[in-house]
Amino acid sequence: MRRILIAVPTLFILFLLQSYLWVPSYEEQGENPERLNEFIEGSIGDAQILNPVLSADSASSGIESKVFEGLIDRDEDLRFRGRLATHWEIFEEAYFYVNDEAWIPKVGKKDAQGVVKLLRDAIKARIRENAPLFRSLGKIQRVEALPARSFEFSKKDKNAEGKKIAVTIRVAAPPRIRLILKEVDQELFDHLSGLLGREYFSSFDGARFIDILPETFSSKRSAYARELLPATENNPVIVFHLRPNVRFHDGHVFDAEDVRFTYQAIMNPKNLSPRIADYEPVKAVEVLDPLTVRVVYKRLYSPALGTWGMGILPVHLLNSKALRQEAMHRGLDPDKFTLRQSEFNRRPLGCGPFLFREWKADQYIVLERFEDYWEGSPNYKRYTFRIVPDLLTQEMEFYAGTVDGYGVQPHQVERLSKDPAYQSFSGLSFGYTYIGYNMRREPFKDRRVRKALGMAIDVDKIIKYVLYEQGEKITGPFVKQTDFYNHAIEPLPYDPEGALRLLADAGWKKGPKGWLQKNGKRLQFTLITNQGNNLRKAILSIAQNSWKHIGIDVRTDVLEWAVFIQERVNKLDFDALILGWSMGIDPDLYQIWHSSQTGPNQLNFVAFRNEEADDLITKIRQEYDHERQVQYCRRLHEIIAQEQPYSFLYVGKWTAILDKRIVIKEVDPEGKPRYSRIQPTKTGNYTFYFNKWIKLPEVPRFEMEG
Amino acid sequence: MLAFIGRSAIQKIITLFFVSIISFLIVHLAPGEPSQIDPLNPKFTQEVLERFRKEFHLDKPLHIQYLYYYRDLLTGKSVSWKDNRPVLKKIYERFKNSLWLFILGTLITWTLSFPVGIHAAIRRGGLYDRSTTFLAYLLISIPGFFFAYMLIIFVVTHFHVPVIGMETFGISSTGWHWFMDRMWHLLLPSILGAAGGIAVLSRYVRNQMLEVESQDYVRTAKAKGLSPDKVHYKHALRNALLPFVTMFGLILPGLIGGSVIIESIFSWPGMGRMAYEAILARNYPVILAVNFISAILVLVGTFISDLLYMVVDPRIRL
Amino acid sequence: MIVMNQNSKPSPAEGGVLEAPKRTLFQENWNLFRKNRLAMAGLVVFVIFFIIAVGGFFLTYGRSPVFDPALVRLQEKLRPPLSKPNLETLKPEELPRLGIYLFGTDDLGRDVFSRMLQGAWVSLTVGFVAVGIAVIIGIILGGIAGYYGSGQISLGHLLASVLVGGGIIGILLGETAVGVLLVLLGAAVAAVLIRMGNSKGKGPIPMGFSVLFFNLFSVDVLITGLIDIMLCFPVFFLILTVVALIPSKIHYIMIVIGLTSWMGSARFIRAEFLSLRELDFVTAAKALGVSDWRIIFRHMVPNAMSPVLVSATIGIASAILIEAGLSFLGFGDASYATWGNILSSGKDFLFDAPWLTFVPGFAVLTVVLAFNLFGEGLRDVLNPKLKERH
Repeated sequence: MRRILIAVPTLFILFLLQSYLWVPSYEEQGENPERLNEFIEGSIGDAQILNPVLSADSASSGIESKVFEGLIDRDEDLRFRGRLATHWEIFEEAYFYVNDEAWIPKVGKKDAQGVVKLLRDAIKARIRENAPLFRSLGKIQRVEALPARSFEFSKKDKNAEGKKIAVTIRVAAPPRIRLILKEVDQELFDHLSGLLGREYFSSFDGARFIDILPETFSSKRSAYARELLPATENNPVIVFHLRPNVRFHDGHVFDAEDVRFTYQAIMNPKNLSPRIADYEPVKAVEVLDPLTVRVVYKRLYSPALGTWGMGILPVHLLNSKALRQEAMHRGLDPDKFTLRQSEFNRRPLGCGPFLFREWKADQYIVLERFEDYWEGSPNYKRYTFRIVPDLLTQEMEFYAGTVDGYGVQPHQVERLSKDPAYQSFSGLSFGYTYIGYNMRREPFKDRRVRKALGMAIDVDKIIKYVLYEQGEKITGPFVKQTDFYNHAIEPLPYDPEGALRLLADAGWKKGPKGWLQKNGKRLQFTLITNQGNNLRKAILSIAQNSWKHIGIDVRTDVLEWAVFIQERVNKLDFDALILGWSMGIDPDLYQIWHSSQTGPNQLNFVAFRNEEADDLITKIRQEYDHERQVQYCRRLHEIIAQEQPYSFLYVGKWTAILDKRIVIKEVDPEGKPRYSRIQPTKTGNYTFYFNKWIKLPEVPRFEMEG
Repeated sequence: MLAFIGRSAIQKIITLFFVSIISFLIVHLAPGEPSQIDPLNPKFTQEVLERFRKEFHLDKPLHIQYLYYYRDLLTGKSVSWKDNRPVLKKIYERFKNSLWLFILGTLITWTLSFPVGIHAAIRRGGLYDRSTTFLAYLLISIPGFFFAYMLIIFVVTHFHVPVIGMETFGISSTGWHWFMDRMWHLLLPSILGAAGGIAVLSRYVRNQMLEVESQDYVRTAKAKGLSPDKVHYKHALRNALLPFVTMFGLILPGLIGGSVIIESIFSWPGMGRMAYEAILARNYPVILAVNFISAILVLVGTFISDLLYMVVDPRIRL
Repeated sequence: MIVMNQNSKPSPAEGGVLEAPKRTLFQENWNLFRKNRLAMAGLVVFVIFFIIAVGGFFLTYGRSPVFDPALVRLQEKLRPPLSKPNLETLKPEELPRLGIYLFGTDDLGRDVFSRMLQGAWVSLTVGFVAVGIAVIIGIILGGIAGYYGSGQISLGHLLASVLVGGGIIGILLGETAVGVLLVLLGAAVAAVLIRMGNSKGKGPIPMGFSVLFFNLFSVDVLITGLIDIMLCFPVFFLILTVVALIPSKIHYIMIVIGLTSWMGSARFIRAEFLSLRELDFVTAAKALGVSDWRIIFRHMVPNAMSPVLVSATIGIASAILIEAGLSFLGFGDASYATWGNILSSGKDFLFDAPWLTFVPGFAVLTVVLAFNLFGEGLRDVLNPKLKERH
């Protein structure tokens, strides 16, 4: 018995320890030649759902960008470039109802034909004295009258008791004029009223043309009329010409039907796509021929083009028949079965440079290069997405060479970039960190206070010591590397004395205990942020500390994300908070800065209200002309910087460390490989040429060094 | 006997019912919504958010939601909100991974604790006893993650072999080779997982042995002049072991447990991490399912151990 | 410190050698305990830690404490232990009090020594408050189950408490009208019960109301059922869920740890009470007409405390570890330094600044170990079965 008690555990432990002999060491793994053909990316979290239509997390979209391909994307300089679409045109169709009661200056009332003739004559006549009108008329390519028509429309609406009842609306629409413009013009109708009279559009009374059943709903007549008979309508149109002979990973040829299907999949309410808001302004997606798609929009919406970077789904695998079959096969109810339930989301198939191979939940996702990729297949044979949830072990795996790239932290960059075996890159990211002030509350109603608070924080110091120089100051809400950003605006200086002077102007003076006071009340508030972001936590301590220095009594609170959002931000219950926005390249600021978005559950939670800014924000999202958009944006930037609703702190940098042996390999026409160093693009994106990357056994000599 | 089984079955079912209500209330009355409902994403309109809430039945009154969840769970139709996969399938996947850790951890705990505890009891007060006492308490006194990092850094820098993950990454081996590789990767996390168990169990064995050794019959045996080995290992040990039989039931809940911290540090895709991520993402179906299953295991475990207790010690009438 | 038996009053130790050994139980235990060197070491460390924690509280509390644990000096970040501050970049009030950074500085240039001082009292408070809550709940519930265990809960009791409880939940959920109605109904049922109960012996209970007196189960079943329910939740998991859902303030963390770990002491107390209830001195006290209250708190609780005391000592240790684990997962309270959160935020810099991990790591290790060894020694001494025969 005694012997057994000693022998069994000893043998057991020896058995466990000897397993060491079977495990290849890091060196042996690194020497494996296959390893050079594989790029392993380390990630903290797993992807959720690999379907570009359904996913909303960054891990998933990273994989999707390799498996799927969109119609367009952005090039090195952030301009659009064609992918599945070779080229595209944007023009506009504009409509307005003939207002036969309106008095047109100089000519009187006119019917449809009369208006058409008037417009055609005006275009020919080239009226130069009215320059804006001339510009707008110059864009019109065709004018035509559409005959009057009648239709019936029914919808459910609440009656006086709040019950939903079917309402039928009979519409006898008057004739309508269609204008085809060679480019989008948001001021078209403004300018046309120079010709047709100022009241021509606004005095159009749609209510005259509708009948409502039952009668009790007649009070809503003008509301229905606005909905069904808008006086004017701008319909921007994008026509995409698709790339011929592009294949999905299963060999099926990609065509216009796939594009239309992708759009339908997003709009299908059953699929619960998080992208539905992007495509809501789309009126129709029409297939003109297998290689031409026409997208018509309901209204002016300039971010529209950018949304077509969305990965395209294969219709032949996901159409309703295929889904039904899958449901039957898996024994589920075919009527309730949607794209969301499909196994496709676990083994996606697109026409991107890498094809999906394997996914082990919370372990890894393996992609393999697609040999028939239209742009030439990537150099790496495999791309592996490896999940290592712990930052420290991630770093150790990177050191050991079993991870090629990971989200390296600033303090690690400093150390690793000194190591000769690694190359490091950094470039500005699209996100900024800020302290936002609740302008509904004292003392933040006063601009001077907000500005003073910003001036009391030494952002340079934060960037230097907390971010290890991996960040830059920022002064406004636009992506710093785009034209929209106004570089003429100076960041707030670090000036605690100046801050005190500003606060004194606003009435806050030093009281007996060294705290700032106004009317006997201490300058006191709570600064909050969310858990799980160490940088924000550090800024929290720094801000608290620097404000304390000038005599402001700041409490701090770190809240769990869901609580932070739901209880504080959404309910607008906070004084000041530290948060970050990650921006799209598109300069649409409507949700975050427009004064209509200041309610609970909306994103303008600091309650920024400025009339000029509102006007600019609406104009920006309707403007299709880049130069003019830039102008509006710069002015908007100026206003926001002046008002200081946020203390804009910094924009972080992408930082990446890679083994030096990873280089760009290109093959010249004679078949000779040429190597060059990986360089981040102007906009800081170093993975832009990822498809050309390869790892070599040793660092090559680069041609054209320097 | 039958009466006991029947009575305790009813009792356990009632307990389970209350557990289900309490866990449901904790999860639901707490602030926060499933992470699919992300109000800070400018792309999400209020309408989309509403639709998500409707899809997840969050717009219904609580008792209706309760019925929906447990109906789905019991019929196996419950679906994870995060990725639309059946919850039971997900749990089973993770369970397979956690099982390795559980088995090896339990084996290490039980094979090591007994010899250590028994020897400590025999040499009570001696150097061996004191050093094992000290070591046992050292093991449960180290913050788990601190210990884990120390171990990992030690092994990686001295032996240059991978320790995290379920197997050496990127090397696809099969058969015996695969098995040994898996063993190696299991070693550290299961030692960490077992550390607390070894400490507690070996102390328990020691005390149990001491208690038995002070009984009259053992002292009689000693007085009779039997060899100490025989006294310790035959007379004392056998009786000291009896209560441990009942502990087999109590390790059952460990099947679905699993430490978030160890699993995260060692990149082990186990139950603990899934549950933890589900909590953070407010993935209610997963949280509730894990909770429910673990409650069942606890109850079944205590039931088994009660039964064993009755079998082992006929004096006990429950 | 350890009152084992209230019959023997602790008397001052007598020095006379010639007198008969009239040692109190306390002294006897103390002598036994002293022999256990590990436990003694534990006690010594514990006392030192206690002194440091109390000192730490006074040195780090308030607006301008002697050692400011929150003072950020970014330019002085990650300085190794014992390094000298850079006199040129610091304002006089920013200099560390000791003239050097005894334990180095962290990633924001805060003095780790000050933070450890603050952490000492915060961690100690976490341990004591959490265990205190657990023990109090344990004594109350375990005591009730052990002493009044055979009392019956009738349908009426259940109905009243369900109505009142439901009403309170309703009010909390915002349905005030329904809630108030339910509470009133519950109160009405309770009133009926009390009146009927008083007149029970005097006359027959009207039909219909007798249903209310239908006995369902005993108090003991109720409380053991509650314990069973609580045991069905994996503790760390439960804490994690709750902490994730409430604001991460240090006092909430203490309360949550306390509320989720009372089951052990409740069981101990219940078991002890069940056996004590049958003992002569309790029967005697009852016969003398001593009130229940007095019997429980003067006679029974002190005698039932020893297993609770042991588990409490070890409970303090585990509360400190649980707090560290929560900090590791990011659920700590950042506004105070605790040893747990110094340790967990230091691990990011393990390769750059190992002292940030090792200083708090070994501190936690030492203190927790001391608690555990002390608790173990206590167990050995208090468990009569394990006493060595002299």
